[in-house]
Amino acid sequence: MIVKYLLAALVAGLFSGALMTVAQEARVIPLILHAEEYEVEGGEAEPAAPAATGTEVQPEAEHSSLRIGAALSEVAEYLSPISVAHAHEGEHEEGGIMFGMSRFSGTLLANLVTGAGFALLLAGVSLVTGNAITVANGALWGAAGWLAVHLLPSIGLPPELPGFPAAELGDRQVWWVATVVLSAVGLYLVILKDGIAAKVAGIALIAAPQVYGAPQPADIASNVPAVLGAEFAVAALATTLFFWIVLGLSLGYANEKIAKAD
Amino acid sequence: MAASNVSSVSLSLNDRLYAGLFALLVGGFLVFGAGLANSSVLHDTAHDTRHSYGFPCH
Repeated sequence: MIVKYLLAALVAGLFSGALMTVAQEARVIPLILHAEEYEVEGGEAEPAAPAATGTEVQPEAEHSSLRIGAALSEVAEYLSPISVAHAHEGEHEEGGIMFGMSRFSGTLLANLVTGAGFALLLAGVSLVTGNAITVANGALWGAAGWLAVHLLPSIGLPPELPGFPAAELGDRQVWWVATVVLSAVGLYLVILKDGIAAKVAGIALIAAPQVYGAPQPADIASNVPAVLGAEFAVAALATTLFFWIVLGLSLGYANEKIAKAD
Repeated sequence: MAASNVSSVSLSLNDRLYAGLFALLVGGFLVFGAGLANSSVLHDTAHDTRHSYGFPCH
């Protein structure tokens, strides 16, 4: 019985991850590739293709603000045979896409894993709180997931394009994870718990990380045009909303077909 | 138990909690691996996915 609920979540997650890959190709991926042209042009963000030219770059330098990386990337870009759009693939010697896959396959694999992961998290919340996800309420479950994982965290940390300025990675990840968890618990209290005290506590939990504030970069200048950033933020939020609605509905359907089959 | 209404999950409370916690654990692990893990190979493979989902990246 337990296995069936987990199986239902996996089926729904893989299905949603595959559809997400199609949806990303429409708008989000072209914008990422477009932004990478500016990223490499400015030599600002990441060392491009040191592996291809044999230039030595410390892997640790990847996320730090070392200026050496910027200088090297200009040289590397000049010499590199790798096209701009694929510059990320060879950006450090230990990196590269798993199993020698293409960039698209890597994205597909990551989407499938992410889809399965979010599906299990959604199913886990449903099981722990004892509220079943069905076809009838699946879209609402999905919408709540999108609020907790995407819209609320993006108030402090909007979806970034490559080449955008950002605060230290670890700080942002901690704030992001904390915000997702607090928002999810807050939404649970607001939506599924009765009583005024629960609603007030829920709103307080949702507001807390926003009041605390997300880590922000000291310098917000970027070579990537602002219009691209605005288009990307909307496209990323719209695409993830699509993903979560599909995930909620397909999880409801899979629950009814697989988990309750006997 | 509070979830004994029409839309409740048809499992005993213990089974349900175990299944739910297990799902949360595995799901969290998968999302962490694809979205947040600080490994170059994972980062490069999932690069476009991380940006699309708005995971803090770079």
